[in-house]
Amino acid sequence: MTNLAIETRGLTKRFGDVTAIDGLDLAVEAGEIFGFLGPNGAGKSTTINVLLDFVSPTTGTASMLGLDVQADRKELHRRIGVVPENYGLYERLSGRRHVELAIEFKGATDDPGALLDRVGLSPEEANRPAGEYSTGMGQRLSLAMALVGSPDLLILDEPTGGLDPNGARELRAIIEAENERGATVFFSSHVLEQVEAVADRVGIMDGGQLTAVDTIERLRRDSAGGARVTLSVDHEPERALGDLPNVRDIEVTDGTVRATCLEPEAKLAFIDRVQAVTTATDVRVEESSLEEMFASYTTEAQADEQAEPAATAGVEA
Amino acid sequence: MSVRTVARKDLADAGRSKALWAVTLAVVLFTAGITGLAGVSTDQPVGEVFGLAFQVVVFALPVVALFLAKGALTGERESGSLRVLLSLPPSRGDILVGKLIGRTALMLVATLVGGVATGLVVVALLGGGLELLVPFMTFLGLMGMAFVAVGLGISAVSPTDGRATASAVTVYIVLVAMWDLIEAGIGAGAVELGLLEAGSRPAWLQLLGLLPPNQAAGAAYEAATAGGRALAADPFASVWLPTLVLLAWLVVPVAGGYLRFRKADIG
Repeated sequence: MTNLAIETRGLTKRFGDVTAIDGLDLAVEAGEIFGFLGPNGAGKSTTINVLLDFVSPTTGTASMLGLDVQADRKELHRRIGVVPENYGLYERLSGRRHVELAIEFKGATDDPGALLDRVGLSPEEANRPAGEYSTGMGQRLSLAMALVGSPDLLILDEPTGGLDPNGARELRAIIEAENERGATVFFSSHVLEQVEAVADRVGIMDGGQLTAVDTIERLRRDSAGGARVTLSVDHEPERALGDLPNVRDIEVTDGTVRATCLEPEAKLAFIDRVQAVTTATDVRVEESSLEEMFASYTTEAQADEQAEPAATAGVEA
Repeated sequence: MSVRTVARKDLADAGRSKALWAVTLAVVLFTAGITGLAGVSTDQPVGEVFGLAFQVVVFALPVVALFLAKGALTGERESGSLRVLLSLPPSRGDILVGKLIGRTALMLVATLVGGVATGLVVVALLGGGLELLVPFMTFLGLMGMAFVAVGLGISAVSPTDGRATASAVTVYIVLVAMWDLIEAGIGAGAVELGLLEAGSRPAWLQLLGLLPPNQAAGAAYEAATAGGRALAADPFASVWLPTLVLLAWLVVPVAGGYLRFRKADIG
């Protein structure tokens, strides 16, 4: 038995001439909360579609909970809970009936009322046909179906779409509680804050490949984003500041000197250098945002880098 | 287990739609209404009335059955509920078979209601002929099931509901509206090529004429009501050959649809 909840090896999926996934090796450990990030068209959805056996891979293998996603799909699907992307509900069936169906299909013994209550659907709402649901209510219902049978692995594809901030918070609490219970949680999102708040590790997908897998903190540190340091000076330096390790994009404008510092020590070195040639009166430091960090791992940033090697990738976005 | 749940869900979902009631109404109108109309508008004996009604109904019922089945999978594919279903344990095969059972049950319920209504009309108007109602409903029921299977096969191979509708219309035109013409054309072509003597109708050409479910149902009904020729020496005057054709229609389109649906990308 493997202790990986999700594992793909050399996974490739081509649609005609288009390569959606390109030799993907993904490993999600049992018991972790894994955030799956990437811009549209990066191959995120196709990866999840392969994991759920909605599409067949061109080459490579994929398994979850040690079970092959195609050969063992029936057993596998009894043990996972899924909120698929672009899911639809049966307009004429009640919310409660949806949950009962999932219970029946999985051979589970859950109480539908308790599950619906847990995701914040009242008994009255649960008895209404799903065709009358708002997007947010549909999302809650879909989550209730995913929780049926206390799955070992939860796969949530863009689960926050349609949820208000309150709903997103409740979703986070449920994700954490499920993880506490022992479930591995794999969820995709383009809302970085959602991912940062709960994920133990994140994987960033771009151009059909994983461009980074790590904790958010480490990714942020390793990304070329760095920190933007702005010094107010009482007079502009008369000579060039020269090169410093891990300091880029030095800019002198009236009354200020700016630079991007990739390491904490670089900030100090930069300030010392400026102090050597002029007098700093104030200092402001802006850490790179999550968006900038994210951008530094995806295509746009790489294109920038190629065009202008000296520029700090993504920071000027 | 999964198959049963899919079928029950499909019945519950489709049963709550107005489609079922529209279908039932259509079947009742076509069977009872047309039989009644034939009964009052001609002075023919009851057997002739049934025969006439059957000929008309086999044109109408396939529309109902194809309409009922062609969206069974494409509808769920477009709404995204198929993604929910496939996230759960049921396999594509389970879903296909469950849908077949669900939609066939709907069609049979509608046909049964139509049969009872027809019986009442016949008894009321003609004062007899109830014994003919059994073959009448049996072969209409089988034909309805065959077209449900064809519709479901279409649904399984179609990526969108629009494509399924277009295919269903094409199938109707070829199998129901134009088959006599197609058969005649092939016959004439065979004569032209010297494969066939003008005016003759060899077994293969007769079999060709029997292929569509509506033609097979008509032949079976005719043979059954012509009196005790279920095991006739001439297969084309028998009940078993057209019945066999009808049974094949129940299996082949769904099996063919499954081969495609099994591998389809549900994006």
